[in-house]
Amino acid sequence: MNHAYYITAADLAERGADNIPDELRSAKHMIYSSPATLDYNSPGAKGFGVKRAGLVIPESVMLLVAPGCCGRNTALLNELGYSERFFYLMLDDTDIVTGRYLNKIPKACAEIAEELDKKPSVIVICVTCVDALLGTDMERVCRSCEEASGIPSIPAYMYALTREKRLPPMAMVRQAVYSLLEPQKRLPNECALLGYFSALDDGCELYALLKAAGIRKIHEIGRCGTFEEYKEISRANFSIVLNAEARYAAQDMQKKLGIPFIELTRLYRIDKIRTQYRLLGQAIGAKLDDAAYYAEAAQKIADFREKHGVLRFAVGEMLNADSFELALSLLEYGHQVSEIYGTVGERNFVFVKRIAAVSPQTRIYSNLHPSMLGYARDCEIDAAIGNDAKYYHKDLPGIGFQEEAQPFGYRGVNLLFDGLDAALTEGAGA
Amino acid sequence: MSSLLKHLSPLAPDDSGACGVFYELGGITVICDAGGCAGNVCGFDEPRWHEKQSALFSAGLRDMDAILGRDDRLVEKLRLICQQIEAPFTAIVGTPVPAVIATDFHALQRMAERKTGLPCITVASDGTKLYDYGEMLAYEELFRRFAAEALPVKPEKVGVIGATPLNTGLTRADSIISALKSQGYSEVVCFGMDSGFDAITRASECAHLLVISPSGLRAAEYLHRRFGTPYSVGFPVIPAQAAEAAGTLRGKRVLIVHQQFAANALRGMLTDCEADAATWFMLDRAYAAPQDFRIRSEAHLCEAAQHYDVIFADAVLKRVLRGFSGELIDFPHFAVSGRLN
Repeated sequence: MNHAYYITAADLAERGADNIPDELRSAKHMIYSSPATLDYNSPGAKGFGVKRAGLVIPESVMLLVAPGCCGRNTALLNELGYSERFFYLMLDDTDIVTGRYLNKIPKACAEIAEELDKKPSVIVICVTCVDALLGTDMERVCRSCEEASGIPSIPAYMYALTREKRLPPMAMVRQAVYSLLEPQKRLPNECALLGYFSALDDGCELYALLKAAGIRKIHEIGRCGTFEEYKEISRANFSIVLNAEARYAAQDMQKKLGIPFIELTRLYRIDKIRTQYRLLGQAIGAKLDDAAYYAEAAQKIADFREKHGVLRFAVGEMLNADSFELALSLLEYGHQVSEIYGTVGERNFVFVKRIAAVSPQTRIYSNLHPSMLGYARDCEIDAAIGNDAKYYHKDLPGIGFQEEAQPFGYRGVNLLFDGLDAALTEGAGA
Repeated sequence: MSSLLKHLSPLAPDDSGACGVFYELGGITVICDAGGCAGNVCGFDEPRWHEKQSALFSAGLRDMDAILGRDDRLVEKLRLICQQIEAPFTAIVGTPVPAVIATDFHALQRMAERKTGLPCITVASDGTKLYDYGEMLAYEELFRRFAAEALPVKPEKVGVIGATPLNTGLTRADSIISALKSQGYSEVVCFGMDSGFDAITRASECAHLLVISPSGLRAAEYLHRRFGTPYSVGFPVIPAQAAEAAGTLRGKRVLIVHQQFAANALRGMLTDCEADAATWFMLDRAYAAPQDFRIRSEAHLCEAAQHYDVIFADAVLKRVLRGFSGELIDFPHFAVSGRLN
């Protein structure tokens, strides 16, 4: 029996964005650590949480200043090759009460500098809820660290307490990782892509479209192998923000480095992708010819539909997409969406309304709600998209669609349907 | 600097230890945090998370909840959950956030009990201490609150305290049960592992208690005082690879690094060796040999290692023991590396 709370898209749309039920608002209930919660709820958890994100600066190291419990799961990142780049200054209760650890941080940085064979580019000082509550002046601490160690220091705020604020931890860390860039002469044929900590998928058409528009160098932090390459990012004539959480970083770069920015959104509806590229072309003064890419993606969608027929999907939020936009795109391509596990907010409510119009009975769940502990499938689903959806439907074909190489544009659509085709073909053969 | 870890990730903290004790008891456990601590517990320190369901939640605190001390909101959320999930008790486990704002756990307990009608246990862990401390607090409070009734003693029943993944590297109790059954007990209960709340309430039925980690000692002492139940210490589940290696050593100076009772048990398998035990965790002098020691820092372990030919320790410590020229034999400890046996 399914004990999990859900609301249909029709009912949710009728209630409106200002009247989202408490069961879908994480501040109103205890939080269940579903797989999605582990990925999303904890800024220090798997994937690019604050800790890993802070180390995206080439040749950097991180000093986590916190009680032991905050850094415990960092061991997971050792498997990804980060073991030599993490250091921990463990706080005890006396440290917290007296604040004496603030004097230890510069000493720890000096000790780290001595320990390492090669001087790091920066020591990222990561602090947690303790410092959020104590109101630690991290700018000042970082200046002391720099004086003591001779290595630049920047703060990274892993403040889980503030994740629903205007500047949540993942937005602040995006600002931090670009904060070492210095002004230099900007080159008209260079641009920067901001938003993801790893690079776009190599086959993404955005590269080709920008090159066709005369851009010779596209900077991405995820492709910077050295600190020298990282510093070249500030040569960009403009930035393209691909994830709204990078907006603050882009604003900061505009202010400090004079680099203006344009925002794009990751979408899976090809008509909207086409519109977005048209607008990008207008903004940079070039016509972006995306006809071939559009046609290829449209063909892919049609071929998939012909091969597999109309499918009923479960769409999660542990994936490289907005759950609701992706669900809407599947509906517009003629499929059905039985269930969505996602976080509804002002930003994506527009998609909820569109979903309600075409698929009013689609169920919307919150991964974070305690009742998800009692989730059991009681409707028809053919395939799952997202690692959380796969977790709930282990017996069904599905794709995680959460790879590090970031899908975007038509390439994202192609990767989605290629992945689904492979999973369904394999599932049918099993 | 002893508080600086250059090679290791932090060891399992006290809040993880407390949660591990409550995990299988059927209660509603709330980690009093913003989300990150619960992520560490469920995503790392609790290997049963994907194996056995448990009503373990994060309080989802926000900055204004902490700044304004809005305990009533926490209790209201708990009340809502208690309406949805049937449970014999609730437990609230502390983290750095309540520690910083000096949460009054006694008051929180009373408020929760009034609001939910269920007994509530609070554990004032703060995330700065180690897992065994949290386990100790949790075990002690559990037995104090719920093992109240003196039941007729079953002569062949043994109760095991300390059976958690963090202590044993196991998620199931089978191997502990079969090891003790081979010693003549017909009924074995591992409190909190493959056994539930009822086993706690019936603890007084046990003719004997086996404590397999120092974290269980206080609870065993309590049960001894309360019901006269005798207890002993031991560790019946040494991993086969470590046991085999111990059996072949002769004439070596050996250091064993683990939780104290596991280290002691492995030492008992050695022949003609000088063996010392060392631990990052609790060291009870009553069960220690004279040269046994508590590890104060990475540098301390590194320096101490030079006096030995062979070290049994979790393989992750190899990174600390870079200058060690002897033999390192893997003796996994989940609370150190997060590796199961």
